[in-house]
Amino acid sequence: MDNSYAAEIRKNLENILENFPDAVVTFDLNGTVTSWNRGAEKMYGFSKEETVGGFLPFVPGFLMLAEREKIDRIRNGDVFKDFETIRQKKDGTILDVSLTLSPVKDSEGMIVGAICVSRDISEKKRIEKELVKRNQELSRLFFISSAMRGTLELDRLLRMILTAVTMSDGLGFNRAILFLVDDNKDLLKGAMGVGPASSEEAFQIWSRLSLEKKTLTDIMRNIETGPLRKDSFLDKLSLNMEIPLSEETILTMTFKERRSFNVRDVREEPLSDFVLTQQLATQAYAVAPLISRDKVIGVIWVDNQFNRRPIVEEDMRFLSAFSNQVASVVESARLFEQVALAEQELENIFESISDKVFFTTKDYVIKKINKAVSERLGKPPEEIIGKKCYEVFHNRREPRRKCPHHKTVAAGKPFVGELEEPYLGGTFLTSSSPIFDSIGEFIGTVNVMRDITDIKKLQEQLVMKQRMAALGEVAARVAHDIRNPLVSIGGFARRLEKNLEGNLKEYAEIIAREVAGLEKILGEILAYVRGVSLEKRMVNIDSLVEEVTAVMKSELEEKRIVFVKDLHAAFEIHVDPSNVREAILNILSNAIHAIGNNGTITVKTYVKKGCAVIEVKDTGCGISEEVLPFIFDPFYTTKGSGSTGLGLTITHKIIEKHNGRIEVESKPHAGSTFRVFLPSK
Amino acid sequence: MGGSKMKILVVDDDLHIQRLYKDELTEEGYEIVVAANGAEAMEMFENENPDLVTLDIRLPDVDGIHLLRQMKEKKPKLPIIMSTAYDYRDDFSVWASEAYIVKSSDLAELKSMIKKLLIKE
Repeated sequence: MDNSYAAEIRKNLENILENFPDAVVTFDLNGTVTSWNRGAEKMYGFSKEETVGGFLPFVPGFLMLAEREKIDRIRNGDVFKDFETIRQKKDGTILDVSLTLSPVKDSEGMIVGAICVSRDISEKKRIEKELVKRNQELSRLFFISSAMRGTLELDRLLRMILTAVTMSDGLGFNRAILFLVDDNKDLLKGAMGVGPASSEEAFQIWSRLSLEKKTLTDIMRNIETGPLRKDSFLDKLSLNMEIPLSEETILTMTFKERRSFNVRDVREEPLSDFVLTQQLATQAYAVAPLISRDKVIGVIWVDNQFNRRPIVEEDMRFLSAFSNQVASVVESARLFEQVALAEQELENIFESISDKVFFTTKDYVIKKINKAVSERLGKPPEEIIGKKCYEVFHNRREPRRKCPHHKTVAAGKPFVGELEEPYLGGTFLTSSSPIFDSIGEFIGTVNVMRDITDIKKLQEQLVMKQRMAALGEVAARVAHDIRNPLVSIGGFARRLEKNLEGNLKEYAEIIAREVAGLEKILGEILAYVRGVSLEKRMVNIDSLVEEVTAVMKSELEEKRIVFVKDLHAAFEIHVDPSNVREAILNILSNAIHAIGNNGTITVKTYVKKGCAVIEVKDTGCGISEEVLPFIFDPFYTTKGSGSTGLGLTITHKIIEKHNGRIEVESKPHAGSTFRVFLPSK
Repeated sequence: MGGSKMKILVVDDDLHIQRLYKDELTEEGYEIVVAANGAEAMEMFENENPDLVTLDIRLPDVDGIHLLRQMKEKKPKLPIIMSTAYDYRDDFSVWASEAYIVKSSDLAELKSMIKKLLIKE
């Protein structure tokens, strides 16, 4: 009864074991299989008949020793729970398994064998491995994107991205091109490309890289700090690529549908990009969008043209993840570049403005200047910036009251004004505006100075010209209407003088003389109005001066004026002799007039910087500072009636017509020095 | 001077100047014929066959420069002195007058100019 009961229980247990879903195997302490259930059959492929009575068949040869040790420990009563190892199936494939090993005792409690429950854990192992891989990928992505965040230079960044896409320990594609969206033109424009130009080059590069053993980190660092070139075959090709967004292709679809595409065979994809198949001979490719802040800013194109590795789902996943990571960085770099560009443009404009532009603090300290300022002042910027503007521009120790900049500082309002600045030798139109900070506090000024010296001069000349032209019109008529009667009066007076005697003769002589004087004045006025005409020939300057002084001789003697000649310009220059003679004569007459009686006139000639110089120095009354600026103006005279006020004007005009210039130095009561410079050519 | 006097044609619309020139130059031994406008001047030029002409630029009917050209076309070698109240030197230096003078109450310059030109003749 007991036996049959025990047998029944045993039978039941064996049944349970047999149908247990896990593989259950029992064996004795020699490792001889004593039972082998259906689960074991299913898992390992061996049948019960093949295994019972033989040594454990699923232990791979290299684990045999370890297995024996385990049996020894079971003999001592040890239990192994969820022990992970590997087992070999009948077909030779390796299985990842988790084992639970417990001792089996006989009725006396002696350990006689073991029971082993094994569970197939290959699926779990696979998931685990995948997790590790994913983790590696993510850390790589993180590395790449953090490396990229370090640079704000768009080109450098793009190069890093594309290198990461094509490095074998990056995304591992053969070629990659980055297209950016050009919003203005509604097209995708190739920005950069990375990859070998041909299979040969691909092979060379890959073997070199495997020799150099450079890691992604090294290469990223190189790109970040090394020189950046953009002239590879793929760069050049990609820079010329423009795909209008209006076209319907994979690239534009990626942009429009904001998702990636994997074209496994370009021949079967009607929307394949012609430009890619044509110029890159690509046969299969993938494209992923770069989306930053909900906006597609570009797309990355990749292919495996050289190793023909198919682009699989995992590649696509990785490419998309990568694109999402880098898009925002690209966008910031792009914005940064635009800002930098705009800044550079502003700086260029600022520098190239021909007006003088400068910024000051509210304390008149110059903060920033453009090139025109340093050029006008003839000083480098470092000698100007930091100084007070009134020191730099006016050479004063305090601001000029009339200065528009000073007014702006004082009133905090913009001012525009004209200011003549003797220190800089010119007239300036200055516009000054206050600068306020964000809370409305006055912090400084921006000033634009325009040199209007020449414009003023031109304006004056223009006014003068218009006046002269009007004068010219009447001059011819005046000449006719006045000179003709003068000629008659004077001419007949001379005839009378010839034929009369005594008082009458004298009267006639007075009329003739007075008329001659009037004619001379008329001649001078008309000569001035008419302008000076030149009949040039080669003339020796010294002899010309001699001729003039000879004419003056009697007058000089009469007024007891000592005349000193110091002539050292015995060379010929091309001038109108009668004009130059008149010019010198006028200066000498002025000198005589300034002296009156008793004095010295020194005439020097010499050569200086390609000019013949005629210098006339007198010991006369001199010219006051108020009068000095006007001495060459027409009709300006201090000699009272009897002078036309045209002598020096004509002189000036003659010298001007010879492309020469005239200088005057004079002090009241200390005499004057006139210097005429006539160019030798 | 000899039997045949040199003949000078004085062209000036100012009758006083005409008279002055005539009296002064007659005294110098020349025979003077006068004209007050372009038409008269050309008539005298054709009929009187002068040895020298003094020609005012400003005439009532015709421009003196025009007259100068007409005379030069007919007798290129005849000396002509342009005589004017206004200094036009710039404007007609291209024209082939023998001399140019600005009218003056002192006729000395004119007389010496005439003498020079007639000796050359």
